[in-house]
Amino acid sequence: MGTLLSVEGLVTQFITSSGVVRAVDGVTWDVEEGETVALVGESGCGKSVSALSIMRLVAEPAGRIVAGRILFKGRDLLQLSEEGMRRVRGREIGMVFQEPMTSLNPVLTIGRQLTEGLEIHLGMSPTDARARAVELLGLVGIPDAARRLRQYPHQFSGGMRQRMVIAMALACEPSLVLADEPTTALDVTIQAQILELMKSLSRRLGVAMLIITHNLGVVARYADRVNVMYAGRIIERASARELYAHPRHPYTLGLLRSVPRLDEPIRARLDPIEGQPPDLTRLPRGCAFVPRCAFRTDRCIVERPDLRPLNGAEHVAACWEVERVAVGGCPKVAMA
Amino acid sequence: MWRYLFKRFLLMFPTLLGVAVVVFLLIRIIPGDVVELRMAGDRGAVSEEILQQERTRFGLDRPVWEQFLTWMAGVVRLDFGTSMWTGAPIWEEIRLRFALSLQVAVMATTVAVLLAIPLGVIAALKQDTWVDYAVRIFSIAGLATPSFWLGIVFILVLLVVFKWLPPMVYTPFWVDPWQNLQQLIWPALAVGYRYSAVATRMTRSAMLEVLREDYIRTARAKGLWQKLILWRHAIKNAMLPVMAVVAVEFAFLIGGLVVTEQVFNLNGLGLLFVQAVAHRDYTLIQALVMLVSGVFIVVNFALDIMYAWLDPRIRYR
Repeated sequence: MGTLLSVEGLVTQFITSSGVVRAVDGVTWDVEEGETVALVGESGCGKSVSALSIMRLVAEPAGRIVAGRILFKGRDLLQLSEEGMRRVRGREIGMVFQEPMTSLNPVLTIGRQLTEGLEIHLGMSPTDARARAVELLGLVGIPDAARRLRQYPHQFSGGMRQRMVIAMALACEPSLVLADEPTTALDVTIQAQILELMKSLSRRLGVAMLIITHNLGVVARYADRVNVMYAGRIIERASARELYAHPRHPYTLGLLRSVPRLDEPIRARLDPIEGQPPDLTRLPRGCAFVPRCAFRTDRCIVERPDLRPLNGAEHVAACWEVERVAVGGCPKVAMA
Repeated sequence: MWRYLFKRFLLMFPTLLGVAVVVFLLIRIIPGDVVELRMAGDRGAVSEEILQQERTRFGLDRPVWEQFLTWMAGVVRLDFGTSMWTGAPIWEEIRLRFALSLQVAVMATTVAVLLAIPLGVIAALKQDTWVDYAVRIFSIAGLATPSFWLGIVFILVLLVVFKWLPPMVYTPFWVDPWQNLQQLIWPALAVGYRYSAVATRMTRSAMLEVLREDYIRTARAKGLWQKLILWRHAIKNAMLPVMAVVAVEFAFLIGGLVVTEQVFNLNGLGLLFVQAVAHRDYTLIQALVMLVSGVFIVVNFALDIMYAWLDPRIRYR
């Protein structure tokens, strides 16, 4: 299978009154055809901005893609005209947003919002689009589709709306779906349903998926490969299995230790990562994780580590102390 | 939806009743009455006896509640009685003037909406560019300019530059539309400009708010055309608050154009209102207040219907 999407050296910045926010600071990653890739990290680490950059929907004029290439099926999306980009959005790349309560238009029917993409991208007649819409609602598990199409978003529950948003993203049979925290706003039981749905649809339809999440549980279960982001950069990448078994970056380790796990003896308490993510307008010269890191050395403060391959090219991490992280696990050192 | 609208419809009646009670009492608090004022020139020459006789003729000697009930009995049959000042039936006094005021209000609203919606939408789309600044200056100027002053400028410019004066005598639209429009277009423009300023600002801010909504981003992520996003997704949502502003302003225009009417020599409801109060013409004042509040209430009802039509969250409640 070939590479579907490859992001190279992407830099996206926001100009604010307190300075330039380096939301995405030179990241490189890719998605293979049919693969599910996760982008993991805390709030504000640049996950969502990465996805919006791919769609070229970063809020202008404050936000700007400054550098990099986004190769999708060999074309650089950043070089496309606005009209060329419009043809990609919804047609070749679908997007599922975080907030199903606000991401649907309250004054338009479900049917209208589902069929408009079909009419525009595939040139379907209203009748054909409607038939396809019924099919799509069935696909995402919304029963009684014909009646549902005439309803409005406020008549749908949160989970139903997110199903509808997924149906919208899949409508034109795109080859890639970007899902930006698709389940964060939902109840836990609904979360599982939605994720199962997305996973099975991506398998059945052969759609590649980028899942953006801060939930490592989601990653373990649904992603093939994982990119861990911190302060606008990718600091570790591996297959999901490898990442869980052998985290090599102190941040990844911290993330894993801060989630409850059912496959290990019950610990009395979880270990959160102390401190706050850094101010993206004033990134330090060295590693951005230094203030919160238990493995830090003097070198970390002055020199920023790049992603380096570890045992096997599939696992990369940006840390000077990978060996110690690998051997020692997390030392219980009080944070400064 | 029908239940909602029916409820709204029924609510109109208690509101009108409340208006009736308040205006009836308030007008009687003002010192002096129509009898005194009519005879004022002859004060001293007119005996207290004759004043009392006149008061009896108008029923003003009766207890207030009895006067009120008598009046209400007429109102429910849409009979507002006769003017205490001129003796003419109220309906005769109001009819033509209402037609005129209504026409000016409708024309001014048309002017305002035709200006405000395109200008407000463009300003929002081109936020912080020279287009936006131009629109904002235009609308600030509209807020700062009194309509009557603009009216005077219109007349002066027409007179001095074009050596033409709009007709000064009112011709009803159904008698001679051309003559009628020649006269009324000027007050409609003068009033409509100020009115459009309010509506433009509302349109601009509502559009800006809607354009930042998540569902607009969703629409863009679907790869819709910019125009379709604007017309289908944004404008319908942005129109809700704009309609409310337009409706309130429209209702105000029916009775509130006192000075502008003077400038254009229009015999509208505004002037009649002032005269009626000056004369303590109770029956006329009461009828006028009922009429204007009736317009307010009907306009608000129409607004409710439009809201329900535009916003399914209201429709399905």
